[in-house]
Amino acid sequence: MSTRIDPETAAGLEPPAPAGAERNYFKRDLFASIVIIALIAFAMEAWSWVAPVYIMPSVVLTGDEILTILGEDYIHIVTTILRLLFAVAFSLVTGSLIGVIMGIVRPAEPFIKALVVIFTGVPALSWMLFAIFWFRGTEERVFFILAVILIPFYALNVYDGIKALSTDLVEVVETFRPSRWQVFRLLILPHIVPYILMTTKSIIGYAARMTAFAELVSVNTGMGARMGLAQDELNMQGVIGWTILLVIVNLGVQAIVAWAEKRLLKWRPEVSVR
Amino acid sequence: MTAADARAVIELDRVDRYFGAHPAVLDLSFRVMEGEIVALLGRTGAGKSTALHMIMGVLEPTRGTVRVEGLDPYAQFKALRGKLAVSFQNDRLLPWRAAWENVALGLEILGFDRETQRDRAIQWLENVKIVGEENVRKYPHELSGGMRQRVSLARALCVDPELVLLDESFSQLDHVTSKALRTDFTELVRRLGKTCVLITHRIDDALEMADRILVLAAPAKLALEVRVTPALRSDSDWLEAQHAAIAAAMGGEDEGEAA
Ligand SMILES: Nc1ncnc2c1ncn2[C@@H]1O[C@H](COP(=O)(O)OP(=O)(O)OP(=O)(O)O)[C@@H](O)[C@H]1O
Ligand SMILES: [Mg+2]
Repeated sequence: MSTRIDPETAAGLEPPAPAGAERNYFKRDLFASIVIIALIAFAMEAWSWVAPVYIMPSVVLTGDEILTILGEDYIHIVTTILRLLFAVAFSLVTGSLIGVIMGIVRPAEPFIKALVVIFTGVPALSWMLFAIFWFRGTEERVFFILAVILIPFYALNVYDGIKALSTDLVEVVETFRPSRWQVFRLLILPHIVPYILMTTKSIIGYAARMTAFAELVSVNTGMGARMGLAQDELNMQGVIGWTILLVIVNLGVQAIVAWAEKRLLKWRPEVSVR
Repeated sequence: MTAADARAVIELDRVDRYFGAHPAVLDLSFRVMEGEIVALLGRTGAGKSTALHMIMGVLEPTRGTVRVEGLDPYAQFKALRGKLAVSFQNDRLLPWRAAWENVALGLEILGFDRETQRDRAIQWLENVKIVGEENVRKYPHELSGGMRQRVSLARALCVDPELVLLDESFSQLDHVTSKALRTDFTELVRRLGKTCVLITHRIDDALEMADRILVLAAPAKLALEVRVTPALRSDSDWLEAQHAAIAAAMGGEDEGEAA
């Protein structure tokens, strides 16, 4: 849970697979996923025959629990998703702006960079404890934790992106004598979009897990908090049920980001590295 | 003014440009008249690009004055808005913009509405022989090198500039593509009566395209000036003699450029 993503590697641009190969792989991957899910379910079921219910409940019991959650506790799922999306959206905008300022306003760069680097060095758990001391409201706590963790990733990656902006392109745009705003809108903004997307792609899973963790530690609503409650009540099928739902939410948001990436980066050449 | 009807679009007067202690351009003076195509010819490192950068207004001369349309292109940078356009050796297309959107870049900066941008961009792509809805909508990485260079030329011409500057725009293309593009371009520029300064280090290209050739020796200093007319251009003896004279003034033609 506390594994931190290295912001340097988070910036690494993965080469997308070629379109044809992607289609071929899809069926194979789907099949493999189904096999693995079936195997996990079977292992849990087998274990449940020999273990007491508070160690490993049966698949049927867990399934029942998930249905109950979806029927009665779904508001916590919605809460968590909204918290996650709102915090990511806010961090995306704020962090990217900071990154742009670092890249453009030369004198500000070393100061903001030092601040950002120090911030990324503070453990997530410390931010959670600070949040509990500093904020009364639950929403503020979760929002603060996520924003303070996510903003530096955006800032650093967008900053790196701006440094990678080719002077050739800057020069050719400059020859048309644009305003500062036009330079931002026509050159800088489209140039940093891939960096913003790559950052989102690499942090979104981490952010989803961090949201649940922040809820567990600091508030009493949302998926993380409900999971903590289930644990207090020694309700193992509840813990497993919430875990499965968290996995689904996590994969869901990742799929949304992947879709956004495909749409927004359709201008990029598809590279395949052998 | 040298002639009654000719107006100097570019005037360089005793211009020096140093990079540190290193002189890239020394005591360079020349004029380019309205509607003229002038080639700056010189070996690599002669200071051709440096001179062009000063005309573009992105570089300040160390000494001397540069005037474009009577304005100081560096100090009065914004005043030349829409008056000049540049195409470079590499196409420098914005990868996230489709071909027509790249051509429309200048128009967008000048504040034309989207409809006009699109119509004019497509017209200009047609002028450089890129036609068909599918080609117009292609992203730079989906175009061949020759097509990208055509898009880049269309982008420069699309703002209807009085002055077109080319820095080795044809040199990275294969022989046949380069020849075709040079012919198309010169024909177009002459028809529109644009003023054009083009940089090249190939003597034959300069003789083929320009009305006047300014040969620069390193650091950029005028070594020779050659006037070319259509009649002279078809005189192979004259061409041969000029080729030899220019090569001597340049201090030898760059090797490996015969292809
Ligand atoms: N920004 C710069 N900083 C330092 N030196 C520079 C810079 N730009 C050019 N020079 C130097 O000035 C001299 C002239 O360079 P320039 O680019 O104008 O040559 P060029 O004639 O365009 O050559 P090429 O045909 O290779 O493009 C070279 O010695 C080069 O190293
Ligand atoms: Mg050059």
